[in-house]
Amino acid sequence: MRISLNWLKTYVDIDISAAELAERLTMVGFEVESIEHLGEKYNNFIIGEVVEISKHPNANKLTLCKVNIGKEILSIVCGAPNAKLKQKVVVGRVGATVPHNQHDPNGLPFVLTHVKIRGEGSFGMICSEYELGLGDNKDGIMVLPEDSISGCELATFLGLDDTVFEVGITPNRPDAMSHIGIAREVAAMLGKKLKVPSLRLKESKQLTKAYVNIKVVDSLNCPRYSGRIVLGVKIEQSPKWLQSYLKAVNIRPINNVVDITNFVLMEVGQPLHAFDYDKITDHTIIVRKANAGETFTSLDHKGRSLSTDTLMIVDSKRSIAIAGIMGGAETEITESSKNIFIESAYFDSRSVRRSAKRFGLSTDASQRFERGSDPSILPWAADRASQLIQEICGGEVLKNVVDIYPKKIKPKVVNLRPQKVNEVLGITIDSKEVSRLLHKIDIRSSLSRNKNKQKHKIQYIVPHYRPDIEAEIDLIEEVARLYGYNNIETNQNATLSLQSSAPEYNYISEIRDWLIGSGYSEIISNSMQDISLSLLNSKNAVEIANPITQDMAVLRTSLIPGMVRIIKNNISQGNKNLRFFEFGKTYFFEPSIVSSGSSYISGFFEENRLILGYFGQANKQYWNRKAKPVDILDVKGDIQTLFQKIFLDNIKFIPYSTTNALTNRGLVVEIQGIKAGEIALVSNTLLEKFDIDQSVYIAEIKIDLLLQHMDKRKIFKHLPKYPVVNRDVAFIVAENVSSEQLINVIQDAGSSLLLNIELFDIYQGNQVQEGKKSLAFSLEFLSYDHTLNQVEIDRIMQIIINKVSGILGGKLRS
Amino acid sequence: MMNSIEEIKHSADAEINNISTSSKLDAFRIKFLSRSGLIAGLFDQLKSISTDERPIVGKAINELRTHVQSLYDDRKSKVDLSSKQTEPFIDLTLPGRERWIGSKHPLTQTMEEIQRIFFHMGFSIADGPEIEDDYHNFEALNFPPDHSARDMQDTFFITDKVLLRTHTSPVQIRVMEQQQPPVRVIIPGRVYRNEAISARSYCLFHQVEGLYVNKGVSFAELKGTLLSFAQQFYGSSIKYRFRPSFFPFTEPSAEMDITCFLCNGKGCKVCKKTGWLEILGCGMVHPNVLRNVKYDSEIYSGYAFGMGIERITMLRFGIDDIRILYDNDIRFLRQF
Repeated sequence: MRISLNWLKTYVDIDISAAELAERLTMVGFEVESIEHLGEKYNNFIIGEVVEISKHPNANKLTLCKVNIGKEILSIVCGAPNAKLKQKVVVGRVGATVPHNQHDPNGLPFVLTHVKIRGEGSFGMICSEYELGLGDNKDGIMVLPEDSISGCELATFLGLDDTVFEVGITPNRPDAMSHIGIAREVAAMLGKKLKVPSLRLKESKQLTKAYVNIKVVDSLNCPRYSGRIVLGVKIEQSPKWLQSYLKAVNIRPINNVVDITNFVLMEVGQPLHAFDYDKITDHTIIVRKANAGETFTSLDHKGRSLSTDTLMIVDSKRSIAIAGIMGGAETEITESSKNIFIESAYFDSRSVRRSAKRFGLSTDASQRFERGSDPSILPWAADRASQLIQEICGGEVLKNVVDIYPKKIKPKVVNLRPQKVNEVLGITIDSKEVSRLLHKIDIRSSLSRNKNKQKHKIQYIVPHYRPDIEAEIDLIEEVARLYGYNNIETNQNATLSLQSSAPEYNYISEIRDWLIGSGYSEIISNSMQDISLSLLNSKNAVEIANPITQDMAVLRTSLIPGMVRIIKNNISQGNKNLRFFEFGKTYFFEPSIVSSGSSYISGFFEENRLILGYFGQANKQYWNRKAKPVDILDVKGDIQTLFQKIFLDNIKFIPYSTTNALTNRGLVVEIQGIKAGEIALVSNTLLEKFDIDQSVYIAEIKIDLLLQHMDKRKIFKHLPKYPVVNRDVAFIVAENVSSEQLINVIQDAGSSLLLNIELFDIYQGNQVQEGKKSLAFSLEFLSYDHTLNQVEIDRIMQIIINKVSGILGGKLRS
Repeated sequence: MMNSIEEIKHSADAEINNISTSSKLDAFRIKFLSRSGLIAGLFDQLKSISTDERPIVGKAINELRTHVQSLYDDRKSKVDLSSKQTEPFIDLTLPGRERWIGSKHPLTQTMEEIQRIFFHMGFSIADGPEIEDDYHNFEALNFPPDHSARDMQDTFFITDKVLLRTHTSPVQIRVMEQQQPPVRVIIPGRVYRNEAISARSYCLFHQVEGLYVNKGVSFAELKGTLLSFAQQFYGSSIKYRFRPSFFPFTEPSAEMDITCFLCNGKGCKVCKKTGWLEILGCGMVHPNVLRNVKYDSEIYSGYAFGMGIERITMLRFGIDDIRILYDNDIRFLRQF
């Protein structure tokens, strides 16, 4: 909230600079987010009197003015049609930043310099309302009242010689949402006395209670309701000082009565509401829940339908306010109002919060009630407002506050063990010091010090305005705050017991590092996406009930659409040849699923996945090597290499040729017989959605399966003592025989002596029969217990040739 | 016979000196040393001479062969050397054959760096769901229902009681529900906030949360741990401060600031002219939270802290718009 320094100073003596005060407030928990010197933008603007005026010798529409600005007289060339002798005007001096340039279509600011206009020097500018940002009038210079004083700074003239702090008030401190609240903290901090304004109310002999009949039906949600009546007020604009204060805290002045209720709100934090007394039917006020189906027009002239849960202020006929949130249009203070009723009430925070949420309203009043207001301040606030109304608007204040307070709220009593303070904070202070610190903010022990002396537990009475203090730990926090967080020791000698890190994080970073080394860039993408994308591959997408926009309304069910989106973004930026990866979660609605404790909650399933995305060329182009467009075997190769890297075996790649929503033609990846993902071409449906006209390849793998099955125990195997024997062989087989089939037959036939099979050539053409192909392999044989001789190898080769011929009808290519 | 040996020796001695290329040297080898060469021819003739003379002549031929062989070897090493120097011309200024480079996302880099520091301080890692229930995200963390503290975090809801976690703190509850003290974990993860997207805020971001619960843990130790972290992460010369703040699940609560490393505390746009940068929120675990996980708050106490990875990453690398982190433009990613 905004705190005016001038205003604050009326409650506490402040003998430090604004900057230092801001720093000190921040250090006790009231973070000053910014400091604004209100008049700063009017530096170099000064009030002057036109003491001489003549026509510009070289321009018809210009005049030459001499303007007395107190200590000197400036020559200024002026283009305004309304410039006249003896006018009081606002002069911008050389160096001033004029807020709006009248000649700029966007009205941007500009800095005044010394210029010559058609040969005549001009040492400043006489400004219009628009140029100063004080109104919309561009037609001529702004003319001030005759009694304005030449030489007076414009900021001072406008009541802007104030400094305003933007203070971040945490939700636990509603007491600090006012100038007195902050002044209380400043007083404690600086060791000064808080100066609460004294009341000087002149009451008439008529009793307030004879003029209004108040009935609180729902005293649970409205534990206290009080009010005052002032008769015969004159509604007009507020005096300048009051307007300045309100403007400083960004409240728009409306009329004197409304301004005074706002002033008291910002002064002490108690929300008040002023009703036009004559419009309250039968002068009866009832506090109760709304009836079903009721509607209400609030001050902002919006119709609102009420629920039976909404606490309302009603008269004998109709609703006149939503309790604690906003008044009604029908009873608001207007220029013709004469008699007024001022409500000063205490509403239950939860009730106000529920209604404020329901209406989507957050008002100065509701914010304070929601966080917890001070039930003890009600009569004071009503009196204070009545007094100011009497002073400013005239009128007769009726005798006594009406105060419906059936069950008095007692201040809380909280126990504190001084030794607990030391335990929690790691400091050593004694109970006397604890009490001294708390006393600064009016938290006093309930017993005399002597009685407390021997005790290891002290009772403290908490003021009504501190709803946040409920238990011992809350008092400890106050002690810490007042002791100063930075005075608490910084203990860097913590006891250390090293624990092993969660292993899967190491493996993920191992995989990540490998991918980066292999030329992939890591992406991190949004897990919320358009419903149409998530539904493409799962009906069980998790929908967000209150999304920001429809294109982020559902959690992703696959990493593929997100990857394609990022690839599209890159293509649009002219980036070519992309290799990306992402580790991310996918989310599913699964009614049958039961919470796993640390991974997902009942009814929802979250799955960690890894995705690779490819676009463009498979390799860099060199001066003697052409680039080749990426194809699925590049992706498969990388996945195979990755699996080797992490010692994952028992993997299968099963081709499929069907098209699903996200992919078509690809390979299903199986780990230990379980589907773990796929390697595929992105489907046309998806490419069209993102308007991509080239192939995009992806591999998406369930990462938990990978981690579960990878070989984490690395055990040394002896190196072979005997030499490897190489044989090359080529087979001619029918076109439709897959390389995998052929390799499996060879491996099978080669038994355990066949160490490695490498396909090094595929040939189809003149040299072989039509419908056939030739596949050439390099075979490596090894025995761990002896050197293989020619005879043995020949025998194995013969078995291989026989099996290939017998099972696949393949022939040895000679 | 002996004459021809001598002749061959002379011609070999003479010829070898004129040889400067490997092809000529090879011709020399074929002429003298190959199976059909002159020396082999001498051995063939050996059969036709008398058995008395044979050993003497044989020895002479052998000596000749050794001599010529050494001439050859000697010359070969010279020819090899010179022929290497006259290989076909290669333009060594041609670009080398580079490979594509990959990169680690800057958010991951920050995350890993933070994790590394806390690993070394004895923290292990914990994890939890992003789709979370109201109890773990709010209630167990001492946010009562209908409490204004909930407004601090605009929430995406799935149902009335299920939501996208607004912070990593619910994992604190999950860890303590499953484990008895001492507990010392950090919790990295993705969190969601229903806020308008702008240069300063995105609808999701990442946090690292920390939790330590044991006997006799104090605020002084919290300060010490976080100071050690900040010194390792931001440099040992930083100045720091702790100031009071509010989080429902910690009390006392604090925010830690360090001197702005962009302006050295002089005040700039990034630190909003204060000279300080807020780097994390922290506090002593609220006794209500300990009670909710059935820890005895009279025996155990603890601290918790949390920091935003995006914010730290943006500060570290001077990134001024959070959205660029999620655009994943390859030209951006390759800068890290």
